[in-house]
Amino acid sequence: MAGNIFITFALLASVFSIIMYYLTYKGYTNTKNLARIGYHLSTIAIIAASAYLLHALLTHQYQFSYVYNYSNSDLSTGMLMSTFWAGQEGSFMLWLLFTAISGLILLEYTSKRGDLEYRVMMIFTLALAFLLVMVSPGLKDPFTFIWSEPTFIDIKNIKQSYLSLPFMQQFTFSDGNTGQTLIKMNEQLAGLLAGNGISIDQFIAFGKGLNPLLNNFWMQIHPPMLFAGFSMATAPFAFAFAALIKNEYKDWVKQSFPWLLAAMMILGLAIMLGGYWAYIILGWGGYWGWDPVENSSLVPWIVGVAAIHTFIIQKKTQSGEGAGRFVKTNLILSILTYLLVLYSTFLTRSGILGEASVHSFVSPGMMVYTLLILFIGTFTVLGFGAIAYRWKYLEKTFTSEDNMLSKELALFTGSVALIAAALIIIVGTSAPIFGTAVEISFYNELGLPIAILLGFLNGLSLLLRWKKTSEKALLDSTKMPLIISIVLTIAIVFLGGIKDFMAILFTFSAVFMLVVNLDTAIKIFKGKKSFLGAYVAHTGIALFMLGVVATGWFTREEQVELKEGQMTNVFGYNLTYTGYTPIENGEKFKFNITVEKDGSSNIIAPVMYISSFNNSLMRDPDIITKFTNDFYVSPVSFEEGGGKKENNSSATKVTVTKGQTTEYNGAEIKFTKFDFPPDAMAAMQSGKDFYIGALLEIEFNGKKYNVEPKMETKSGQRSFVGAKVKEANLNIELLNLDASGKVELSLSQINNNNTESKIEEVKLPSLWVEASIKPFMNLIWIGTLTVVLGFLIAAFRRTKEANK
Amino acid sequence: MNNKYIFGGIIIVVFLGIMGYLFTQTNVQYEEDFTKIVNSKGTIKATGEWVKEKHYSIDKSNNIFTFYMKDFNGKEIKVVYKGAIPNNFESSTSVVVTGKYQNGEFHASDILTKCPSKYETQYEIKETNS
Repeated sequence: MAGNIFITFALLASVFSIIMYYLTYKGYTNTKNLARIGYHLSTIAIIAASAYLLHALLTHQYQFSYVYNYSNSDLSTGMLMSTFWAGQEGSFMLWLLFTAISGLILLEYTSKRGDLEYRVMMIFTLALAFLLVMVSPGLKDPFTFIWSEPTFIDIKNIKQSYLSLPFMQQFTFSDGNTGQTLIKMNEQLAGLLAGNGISIDQFIAFGKGLNPLLNNFWMQIHPPMLFAGFSMATAPFAFAFAALIKNEYKDWVKQSFPWLLAAMMILGLAIMLGGYWAYIILGWGGYWGWDPVENSSLVPWIVGVAAIHTFIIQKKTQSGEGAGRFVKTNLILSILTYLLVLYSTFLTRSGILGEASVHSFVSPGMMVYTLLILFIGTFTVLGFGAIAYRWKYLEKTFTSEDNMLSKELALFTGSVALIAAALIIIVGTSAPIFGTAVEISFYNELGLPIAILLGFLNGLSLLLRWKKTSEKALLDSTKMPLIISIVLTIAIVFLGGIKDFMAILFTFSAVFMLVVNLDTAIKIFKGKKSFLGAYVAHTGIALFMLGVVATGWFTREEQVELKEGQMTNVFGYNLTYTGYTPIENGEKFKFNITVEKDGSSNIIAPVMYISSFNNSLMRDPDIITKFTNDFYVSPVSFEEGGGKKENNSSATKVTVTKGQTTEYNGAEIKFTKFDFPPDAMAAMQSGKDFYIGALLEIEFNGKKYNVEPKMETKSGQRSFVGAKVKEANLNIELLNLDASGKVELSLSQINNNNTESKIEEVKLPSLWVEASIKPFMNLIWIGTLTVVLGFLIAAFRRTKEANK
Repeated sequence: MNNKYIFGGIIIVVFLGIMGYLFTQTNVQYEEDFTKIVNSKGTIKATGEWVKEKHYSIDKSNNIFTFYMKDFNGKEIKVVYKGAIPNNFESSTSVVVTGKYQNGEFHASDILTKCPSKYETQYEIKETNS
């Protein structure tokens, strides 16, 4: 209840704030303070609502549907806190919270800058209000009580002592498919429980828990970072809108710049943290899979980065009262960045992508769908409406030419290439809306030439001067970096054995970018260090690109079987599986593998477990990281030993359940029942010799044949005896018996079987893994961190400039 | 003519052109009707059900996994996948395979299994009780 009151209050306060800011804009003088009070009250209420939700999660108040659905009492405090954003409702709350807090800082920032405050905060608070509507009672609010919609709760999650209550019978259901017993929690039951003095959070002892894919360290960092980036991206939109309503375009770039940089720094870092998470825990094998969720957060980042480059031009070309160049571009890109954040939310939260993604989406219902469209619609109309309204003026005032050989043109061209990339990704990602989809190669094949172009453009832009560069000057400055780059590229191509033409070009582009940026950075380092940002960031991008070449073209992978105690060689590594150890109270299993290479020995232990959350097998990889490569081992499956070794490669392996029939080469093979001699049980227990047979009925060409392959135990040694049906040209080998009523058979043709299996070998436990070598994976992470450092330096510099 | 429009224009036109071409080349069609798959050439994401009666087979030495899948009409196709059997394959309610249909077999490059989650179970019960 309290949570919903906070949210409703916050919404009212934010609407009040918007109106007051609007009146201030209309010329009232006494409304500004009221608007501020409104904003502050709204923020306080949002913080209170968030604290209330967090408290409910930490104290396991399962009467809230959200707490029951996403958390559980067995989670550590840190993970419990991260369940705040495990579901859709909570992640909207997180976005809301960060937007509110960003707004506080923005309010403080704009209040010191003339009449900026009401122009910026008016629109910013509108965005806040939309988010508040999203989590309002009845929509995506995390404070819904569990009984308000009938909910079926697994009986395991109910405190056992309450199950004997007389009225429980009518709320108990069983599900035929899964054999689960479920309690239907509805208003009636809640009422009865309350009448008996039982509170719901006592009645429900456990929550459903956190999805195992999310239940790890990075869950605590990646989503908050992403939403912080999303929240801050609201600011550039607000600044652009503020400039448009005043029809004044000089100062807004300076004021907006630190916000744009900070937002893109955090968003960029968040995206790559997601990639790192996918790589080291989720076992995707790589850091990027062109998944719709990844793509949709990458697109606003790319557009924001394009905006950064054209912002620089406007700032640089300002003189006296002149607003500078590329005003229109900057306004449009600032507005687009936020619109794309909203579109990204729409794609991933509306359920529209359905089966297109590995991320799972629950359709949030028509109301939220409509609301999201309304949200995007409103901001599109406001943003582009304002531009259309001012277009004549903008067109007349800010149209100019660029010289062919100028830094301006190179930067602009770079931005256009970035926009092209963004467009391509958005088209590919949005395809499922129209009932189709694209393969991953769509992104790779298109992204590659753009990346190559960007690398060269970046290098070139640093060698070009502002306004105009003479051809001779350009040639002079390009000569050295170009020669060094060619030499380095040739060296890399030969050492690395790169054969693909595009890969060579890509390497060249990255090396050229690296050389020019490092060269510039070193020159600047002696002077103004605060100017280093761009060069550091681009050095990072170049390193990242080299990492892409190494991992993209030279990753080798192979699926191998590791038999316990036997050494297997993969890519020069000697792997020996030594057995498994249970971890975390036996819920998970570590599969220990000794890895030997060049005399050094390491142990890696990928993990597999069946998650009780979704009854599916979860696999966590393990990695040996060296500077030159990562050795990545991802578990695939595990088989206990005991059965007979399969020694016929052309055989077909089948599992037949009692009473069922399988087909092989025209023969129908039916497993009727086990032949279990009466003394077998006693013999089994006392360790004497015994056998168990599987009675099979084979029908071939209308005739029936009965055979009985057996599992025998003689003086403790287990062996299997197969059977043949010559008429059907059928060789049956028994691989294993399962007491639950299944047999595993290996079927083959007799005449194919020139070497009959004579060696009765007891099968060893075997672990199947996918092993891969990823050269220079580190460059990806080092590159990313370098880019973030560059952003940080630039953000500091632009903040200082904005304070002037 | 303004230089920036020439440069910007060229980039946009060239890449959008390539994009349009690649879009048709890399297009993946969603398909639930297997009779249409048999006559198709492009990459398809097919949704259907595993035919339990026909079992699956595993060829470990070549790492090939084969099974039969049927659509809502009962039309069956043979699916060949190079790789290990997905671990929750047997308990899956529906299977989504991505790949191409060639020589009477569907060559899958990716298998996605959907399992009866708790969520769906509840949903079904809700249907029958209300």
